[in-house]
Amino acid sequence: MRLSELLHSRVVDAAGNDVGRVHDVRLVQDGPLVGTFGAAFRVEGLIVGPAIAGARLGYRRSGMTGPFLLAAPLRRLHRRVKFVPWDRVAELGRDTISISGSADDLDEPEPLPTA
Amino acid sequence: MKRFVAVTLGILTAIGGFVDIGDLVANAEVGARFGFDLAWVVGVGVIGICVFAEMAGRVAAVSTRPVFDLVRERLGARAALANLLASSFVNFLTLAAEVAGIALALELASSVSYLLWIPFTSLAVWLVIWRVRFETMERIFGLAGLSLVAFAVGFWRLGPDWGSVFHSVSHPVVPSGEGHATYLFYAVSLFGAAMTPYEVFFFSSGAVEERWTTDDLNVNRANVLIGFPLGGILSLSIMGTTALVLLPRGITVDNLAQVALPTVLALGKLGLAFLLIGFFAATFGAALETALSSGYIISQFFGWQWGKMVRPVDAPRFHAVVLVSLVLGAMLVLTSVDPIKVTEYSLVLSALALPLTYFPILVIANDPDYMHGRTNGRVANALGSIFLIIVLVASAAAIPLMIVTKAGQ
Amino acid sequence: MSEHVGWAGRPRRLRRLDAGLSLLDRQILDRDGRLSGKVDDLELTPPEGDGSGPPVVTAILSGPGALARRLRGSVGAWLESVHSRLHPSAEPGPARIPFGVVKEIAATVGLSVRKDDLELSRFEDWTRDHIIGRIPGARHAPE
Repeated sequence: MRLSELLHSRVVDAAGNDVGRVHDVRLVQDGPLVGTFGAAFRVEGLIVGPAIAGARLGYRRSGMTGPFLLAAPLRRLHRRVKFVPWDRVAELGRDTISISGSADDLDEPEPLPTA
Repeated sequence: MKRFVAVTLGILTAIGGFVDIGDLVANAEVGARFGFDLAWVVGVGVIGICVFAEMAGRVAAVSTRPVFDLVRERLGARAALANLLASSFVNFLTLAAEVAGIALALELASSVSYLLWIPFTSLAVWLVIWRVRFETMERIFGLAGLSLVAFAVGFWRLGPDWGSVFHSVSHPVVPSGEGHATYLFYAVSLFGAAMTPYEVFFFSSGAVEERWTTDDLNVNRANVLIGFPLGGILSLSIMGTTALVLLPRGITVDNLAQVALPTVLALGKLGLAFLLIGFFAATFGAALETALSSGYIISQFFGWQWGKMVRPVDAPRFHAVVLVSLVLGAMLVLTSVDPIKVTEYSLVLSALALPLTYFPILVIANDPDYMHGRTNGRVANALGSIFLIIVLVASAAAIPLMIVTKAGQ
Repeated sequence: MSEHVGWAGRPRRLRRLDAGLSLLDRQILDRDGRLSGKVDDLELTPPEGDGSGPPVVTAILSGPGALARRLRGSVGAWLESVHSRLHPSAEPGPARIPFGVVKEIAATVGLSVRKDDLELSRFEDWTRDHIIGRIPGARHAPE
């Protein structure tokens, strides 16, 4: 599987309700050891939100605060973003990802720090 | 002297942006048709390019990433490809026009038709890119291009009534006989010329070629604050000389000799000598800037090794792109298509593509992961936001205005 | 997941990143700092064993074979066909950089190997051997 197959996919919950589109894939470095890199990254979950441009601009991270003109609307947008832990992923379709349970009990993604 | 040559990157970048072959003629044409009523656009454009070039140079110095890397990292592969295609097209048209522009400068000096010069001028541009170190190249053409200061001296010697010049600059009106759409079309063209994206592609890649680090942020600021305003002053001087001499006589401009005419009237043969050197250096500099930019942005989009800091065999695809662009550019202008018309159209297309370049620069200049404590301050962000809006408006208006006015006729 | 050796004792130090934001489209540098392509995609592999559980990032995919799918549409299809036509093997996949040779992830992605040791440089080698390398002066740095 490639990362790009997950990105932009539509996400629906068990009842068929639309959750949004995959904005990004959260990785965590606790996989098996590989080569000189150390522990490998594994997929922790999907970051899912409304299908709006600007998801890739980095305003999800706490340190991105400027310029106001962009930061204000984009940070607001990111408040409507949900985190889907990988164990909730039920089925990977071609363009659609189904998750178990209801979209209502999804939390916001933990904001990543900036350097 | 050492301090002074440290800013030649900014000077060469600005000369290529403000007084390349298309702008030499466009500025003169605007002066002859609109007098001083469009001068404010050049001022706005200078501030805009300063704001974004400073950010691009700062990102390059702190993170060693040139502009097209940022474009791809923030817009993603697809939108970055769209920008790459648009910007490469503009680059290519401009490069073709500059190769002819050098030849036109030589025609003016030698009376030998510019078409005969084109094979030699394109070969010369390639040889400089192939064999001359980046710093040497930028010093020779940046400094030689400064002889265009003759325009400013010429303007001063023509003895304008400074009070009325100042008044018409600060109270612009649409001259009678010109439509509002035409006025706006020229405004967008001048703004697009001031902010052509190849300036930031070249400037930021040049900063990486010269291995700027965080210690060079002052050099970055000096380059921006000296280079671009200087380009703007040259641009305004050309406009001023034709506004004083050609406008009252109802002469319009469509070739390089008419651009030089008012200054030669004021300064005589010596002025002409300076202008010829300046025309040659400015068009040659712009050809280098656009030829290198084509190589830079394509290589940076795909992640290929680029740059003059390594041997050509170590950056083969970069040099292949430059070589192919030059050959195709020379072939295009050898068809005897009017090179000045070519740049006029490319300026409008360039205005269309502006947001795709300046938007990612503004975003990344705010990203602490790249900037390590050197993110934009309030002033840079306020100005960046204002100019982003202006850029969006200019971009949206460019094509409709071109259609309505039949490209300013 | 008991076979996962690692940092379980210090869970708060675990590094997290968003792949699209911090990895995708970044510049790759080889051991000697040479520009070696972009992170055009990532290869995700189900974990060893029964294959259930979260996928692991096993490789960076780089070059036209990976980029083509990202572009989609006719441009992507064109790039993919050019890639497979010029490629010596019958069913070429994208060029793979195993994640084990990744040294650093920052503004750029640094590798612990030289780019000649990867399968990235076929088109580059061709351009060098057939065009650029044949022009006099190609092996000297500009003066």
